[in-house]
This record gives sequence, C-alpha cells and structure tokens, in this order.
Amino acid sequence: MKTVIETKKLSKWYGNVLGLSDVSLQIEAGITGILGPNGAGKSTFLKLITGQIKPNIGSCTIEGQKIRNNYHFYSKIGFCPEQDSFYEEMTGWQFMTGLLKLHHYSPSEIKAMTKEALEIVELTEDKDRVIKSYSRGMRQRLKFAQAIAHKPEIIVFDEPLNGLDPLGRRKIIRLIKSYEEEGKTILVSSHVLPEIEAMTKQIILIHQGKVFAQGDIHYIRDLIDTHPHIVSIKCRNPRQLASTFIQEDYVLNIHFGSADNTLLIETNNRDKFFSLLPSLFVKYNIEVDEITSPDDNLQAVFDYLVEK
Amino acid sequence: MNKITVRRLLFLWNSIRKVYSFFFFMGKKSNKTKIFFIVALLPVIMALIIKLNPIFSGRSSTEGIYIFSNVIIVFYLQALILLLALFFGTSVCSEEVEGKTLTYLTTRPVSKSAIILGKYAAYTSLVILMTGIGVTISFLILNVNKLHDFSLYEILIRDVIVLSLGIMCYTALFTFVGTFLKKSILFGFVFGFGWENVIQYFPGSTQRFSIVHYLKSLLPVPKTGRFSFLMFKLEPSTPVAAVFMLFLITGIFLGLACLFFSLKDYIFED
Amino acid sequence: MTIKEKGYAHWDGEFLDKKFPWWPITRYGIKLTFRRKQFKFIFPLSLLPAVFFLAGIYVSERLEDFPFFGRETVEFLQINPSYFKAYLASSFMIFLIVIIVIFCGSGLICDDLKHNALQLYFSRPIKKKDYFFGKTAVIVFFLFILTLVPGLVFFIMKLVFSGSFKFFVSYPWLPLSIIGYSVVVTAFFSFFTLFLSSLSKNRRYVTILIFGTYILSDIFYRIFYDIFSNHYFSLLSLRANLQQVGAVFFSQKTPYPIHWIYSLLVLSGICVLAGFVLKKKVKGVEIVK
Repeated sequence: MKTVIETKKLSKWYGNVLGLSDVSLQIEAGITGILGPNGAGKSTFLKLITGQIKPNIGSCTIEGQKIRNNYHFYSKIGFCPEQDSFYEEMTGWQFMTGLLKLHHYSPSEIKAMTKEALEIVELTEDKDRVIKSYSRGMRQRLKFAQAIAHKPEIIVFDEPLNGLDPLGRRKIIRLIKSYEEEGKTILVSSHVLPEIEAMTKQIILIHQGKVFAQGDIHYIRDLIDTHPHIVSIKCRNPRQLASTFIQEDYVLNIHFGSADNTLLIETNNRDKFFSLLPSLFVKYNIEVDEITSPDDNLQAVFDYLVEK
Repeated sequence: MNKITVRRLLFLWNSIRKVYSFFFFMGKKSNKTKIFFIVALLPVIMALIIKLNPIFSGRSSTEGIYIFSNVIIVFYLQALILLLALFFGTSVCSEEVEGKTLTYLTTRPVSKSAIILGKYAAYTSLVILMTGIGVTISFLILNVNKLHDFSLYEILIRDVIVLSLGIMCYTALFTFVGTFLKKSILFGFVFGFGWENVIQYFPGSTQRFSIVHYLKSLLPVPKTGRFSFLMFKLEPSTPVAAVFMLFLITGIFLGLACLFFSLKDYIFED
Repeated sequence: MTIKEKGYAHWDGEFLDKKFPWWPITRYGIKLTFRRKQFKFIFPLSLLPAVFFLAGIYVSERLEDFPFFGRETVEFLQINPSYFKAYLASSFMIFLIVIIVIFCGSGLICDDLKHNALQLYFSRPIKKKDYFFGKTAVIVFFLFILTLVPGLVFFIMKLVFSGSFKFFVSYPWLPLSIIGYSVVVTAFFSFFTLFLSSLSKNRRYVTILIFGTYILSDIFYRIFYDIFSNHYFSLLSLRANLQQVGAVFFSQKTPYPIHWIYSLLVLSGICVLAGFVLKKKVKGVEIVK
C-alpha cells in the first residue's frame, strides 16, 4: 500500500515541556488509531501532521508534500479538533456554511454539502439553533460534520467520541469505518482502547511523547493480555475463594486486602480468569459483594509496557 | 507580473473576500458589537443634549458645525475609535486563540495572510459603520436648522474620511499587536491613552511618531481656549504626507501581522 | 449474591458550619493575580506614590534641612487632612486604582463564566453571598493595600516622626476618615468591577469596558462643562464623584461647587444597579434558548 503520511524525526517542545520526540512513521490509507493516555502527545502529533504547529526538529509530509502553510492542500484534509470550542453565537447551519465558504465552493454546493453533513450527524432539526444552546453530544457531532462536509481524502479526528452517548458512539464508529471503505485515510486518536479496537486494527501507541509501538492491534492485545492483572473481589469468605484459585496456573499471586473481606488476585490471563470466575462462584456457593480491577486502565497497561 | 503571480493574487483576493464575509456576518450578530454600537452612539446623546439645552435654558447655543468639528469629531478621534480599534484589532487574532477556534480557520484552503486581512477588513468596516452612523446622526442633529447648506456636508464627508483612516490605521496596529502579544490590551492602553497623548506635547518632529498627529493634520487647527484639552499643540504635516503616512503605517502593521501569524505557533491554554 | 442498586450513596451527615467559606475563593483569586507577569511589574509601581508621600511626611519634620524648597512645596508639606486627601483622592490615585482593578478584577467572574465554573462553585457548600464575598475580597485586598494601608501608615509615621501626639490631638477623626474613604472607594470599585466582569466571558472585553467607562465618563463631563459651564455635569464623571466624596471625608472644600450628596447618590446608584445585575447574572445553571 502507498504511504500517505510520512514523518521523519518529528519532535516538538513547548518551552521545556516535551510534546513529541523523534517520531518517524509511515501511515497508509485506511483507519489508523492513535492510542495513548491523556497528555501522551496524541494531539501534538495530529496538530503537527496537519501543519497547525511547526516541529522543532524533523519533517512531515502528506502525499509527498510539506503541509505547513501549504494551504491549497487543506481542501483534501478534514480536521475534527479535540477542544469543545465554537463560534457560539452562530447557528449550526451558519457555522457549517461559513466554514465551507472558505473552501471556495459555490453557494449551491455549500448548501448541498451542509445539508448532507448535518443529515449524517443527525443535526438537521437543530440546524437553526445557536451553538451555545447545543448539548455536549450535539457539539461533538457538529465538530464531526465540519470535518467531513467537504468530503476530504484525509480525515483527522482528535478524540471524536468524547461526550457522545453509546448510541452516538456506535453511529460515529460506523461512519468512520465507512470512510475506510471509500479509500480515505483516517487518523483517529483516543485514550480508550476498545474505541480504537472497534474501528481499526492498525494502531500507533504514543506515550510520554514517544511512539513505542506501531502495527497490528493483536500484537498490542497480546501484550495487554499477558500483562499481570490485579482483580479485587469482595466476598463473605475470601479465604475459601483463595483456596480454589491457588490451584489455577493463570493465577500468579494472591493477597488479602486491608479490609477483612477483600481478596486481591494477580493473573497473567485476564480473559481466562474472567470466563471461569462465575462458574467458581456457583460451584463453591460464594456470595460476592463487588468485583473491581484497580489497574484496568490504559495508563496501567502503558506503565507495564514501558517497564517491559 | 506573470500568470502564476496574478493567479495567486486572485486567489488571495478571493480568500480575503470569503473570510471577510464570514466575520462581517459573525461580527454583526455578536452581542459585543451591539454594545459597542451603543457606545459609538453616545455622541448622539451628547448632540441631543447640546441641541435641546437652549430650548429649556433659553440661552443661545454654540454653532452646530463648530461643536461637531471641535467636540464630536475630536471625541471620536481621541477616545472612541481608540477603544473600538483596540478591541476589534486585538480580536482579529486573540479571539481565535482565546476561543480555541483558530483550528477551524487554519485547516481550510485559505492562506494565513488571507485570514488576517479578511478578518481585519471585516472588523474595520464594522467599526467604520458604527462610527459613521453615530457621526452622521450627530451631524444631522447639531445642524438640523442648516441642512440645506450643502457646504456643511463637505465637512461631514471630510471628518468621516479622517475617522475611517484613523480606524484603519489603529486597527492595523492593534491587529499586529494581537498577533504577537498574549496580553495586548495593556499595550493598547499605554499606546492609545499614553503615548498618543503625551507625545503631542513634544516639540518639533517628535509628534510625528504618533498616528493621531497625521489624523489631526487632516483636520483644521482649532483655536486655543475652549476644547483645547482635546487638541493639545499640533504642528501639522501636509495633508498628502499625512494620508501617505497613514496608509504606510497601515500597510506595515498589516504586513507584520500576516508575517507573525504565518510563522508563530499559537498554543491554546486550558 | 447481593446486587448493588446504586453506585453512590446519599450523604446523611451535617455540614460543618465553616466560618469563612469564601476564603478559598479569595485566596485563589489573589494567587492568580500575582501569577500574572504584567501585574508583578505594575503592582510595585503603583505603590511608588505612597513611598513619595511617606518621604514627604519625613521631610515635613525636617523642613529646615531643605531651605531650597519653594513656598508651594512647603505649603504642600504641611501635613494635615488635605495632604491625606491629596494622596487618596487624587486623579492619579483613582487612575491607578482603575489599572489595578483591571488586573485583579476583570477576570473574577468573567473567567468563571468562560469555563462554566459557576456550577462547580455552587455544587459545593457555598452560598451565592459567599461567592460574591470571596470575589469582592480579592479586590478589597488589593485596593486596601493601595489606599487604607498607606493612609494609616502615613498617620502612624507622622506621629512617629514628630515624636508627639499633637497631630493626633489636632485630627483625632483622621484615621476614621482614612478608613471611611478607603471603604467607600473600595466598595464602589468592587461593585463596578464585578458588575462589568459578569457581563461577558471575554476578559479583554471586560478590561475595555472598565477602562472605557472610566475614561469616557470623565471626557463627557469635561465636554459638557466646557459647553454649558454647569458643574452638575461633574456627576457624569466617576472620578469627579469620588473626589467630591473624598473631600467631605477629609473635611475639605469639595472640588466642584455642588452638594456632595449627589455624588454619593450617583455612586450608590451604580452600586445598587451593579448588585442587581450581579444577582441576575450569577447563576449555577444557565438555560440557553
């Protein structure tokens, strides 16, 4: 497949704060997920490749062309920013048509494109309301609409699912996947692994301003699956439960929590552990009050991967 | 000029027009513009009071055109257009950065210069419109009994042109300041209400380092005495030189604003 | 197996009646103001007049060492209530106060509106009056440093430098005047600034409103006075009104030959209007139609 976006030794500092360091990547058409915890450098990376900020070191090209200040190229790019900001006193319709005007389309084209984009994100009914009266989800959808309205070939979404309800998320995920089928290049950032997983197999892992993994999501998944996981179980008889787990080979460690009824179990096969858990409860008639996973978040996984 | 240059200029012109229409429309709708429009109409209230006072007090009033040229216009020139230009000029860039909306503009197929020039043009015309309406109404009120005297309209046109030149020049300066200073307002106060006033007391060529000098050079020199606190001591330049300098200053500051805006990274603060 | 119905529980405890619930708001406001680079430069500069006036009090006790002083300087250095008025109610001091409130007050409510922080405030055990009090206290803190503190320091230093209580015996009411006038000026600017700060989410806009209102009110007065030669137009000027009231506090002749009560009424009217608007504007939840 042809490389669409290429970065070489891309680095960016904000004063003495490192934003991104030495990122060399080649991104092909299709959906690529940018995954990383908050503050990892995802937004900096996306701003750099869309030419909104200039790198301190390195370069970035899209289809072989430099992007910063190459404004003609922006007709091919759609960008959905992370920040929840708008020209609040405009209506949704005015916002969309105003921005499409900057693409030098004719008034009839602008009207048609705006109509289509608002229909896609289901904002047609609310198009004449001022943006400041929109709910968080509506604002997110409007942001999405302005990025896709001019039918760009390359679309960059910075945390597009923030503030959306589960239905809205599903719809946006489906939409993003449909753009892949049209042969577009799409970059989506998120700090939630399942979100990215639902859209693509190609991911880039960013942490502390550095890219430390790129490729198929299964590889990352494997790493995560073998990541020793701690599960906390609150029940009436934790010692009895501990005795049943001690025989299992996927259990690495068992601790008793500070509270009398808490059991902390460390496992290196999370999926197997959770699939067998209900049957054990039933078999030994154990009454469970609560099951939590203290380190079941991306930050914990990253910490683990970085150490590794 | 070769074809490519012409095509580029045409594209820039078209981009400026698009940006202009976007922000002129937005500016018109903004509540802040409405408030400033009311502020720009304050001299109308002043004109009304001046005109109605003789009716109630029974005293004879000062000549309307005299009040218009020596009070209303100088008030606009030394206070109102400075405040308006300061807000709208610094808004050209700061508004986008503070509101974090810059991304929507810089990821469109328009050059950064077109964004600055288009938005500057939109806001400048809004301010000219606001003050133009205020000035014209004040003029009509103050000269209500002499509206048939067409020679007075020449004064109105001259004064509106001078104010428009002032708005053009000050807004360009503050647009530039807004592109490279985060807190541009303090600079605006120091320049507009400090430097521009103080420097007029200095003799010789010193006062040529202010914008207000060239604007006042285009107006008749008032007699000393009444309202002298509004005019200070003027050693005027020739009208041609004054107009040339105003356009030159505008051009330089807009050029610098475009340059800074194209080169600088704007980081949004949380 | 017990299944929990709720992931949260209502708290049945009682709120402890905290003595100063507004204090965290004030502390944070003061801290934020000091974090501003320009303020770090301007605030010490704004205290320079106080240093000069203090030096004047010292010199007033050593006039024989400065024989080259002219008659006017010597007259000025006669320390009496007029000297205190010259510091506290001068045009320059009022201008300085405007500059300081621009820095410490313009963003007080406007930034909360911008970041939708009002909901956060009112979801805590603080009342609307605590919020206002906390914000006002930020302005009070800075303006007292500029007015009340130097005023009282001048008075004390006069007693110290003269080495007797003669000055106190002559003007026993002066400390009360200093406190009274400082409170009036500070209260007025607190209402005025918070009112304008609540009108927008844009700090630049609020800054221009504060500065513009002050400057334009004065220019209006001067223009009308030049045309009509009527001193009642001084009521249009914020500066003139404050100076009128200031003169009364220090038992001096008012600078404009109109009754000072009108000025006090104008200032009070602005405060009442500001209070009314503030009450309407500051709400925990905003419904936009």
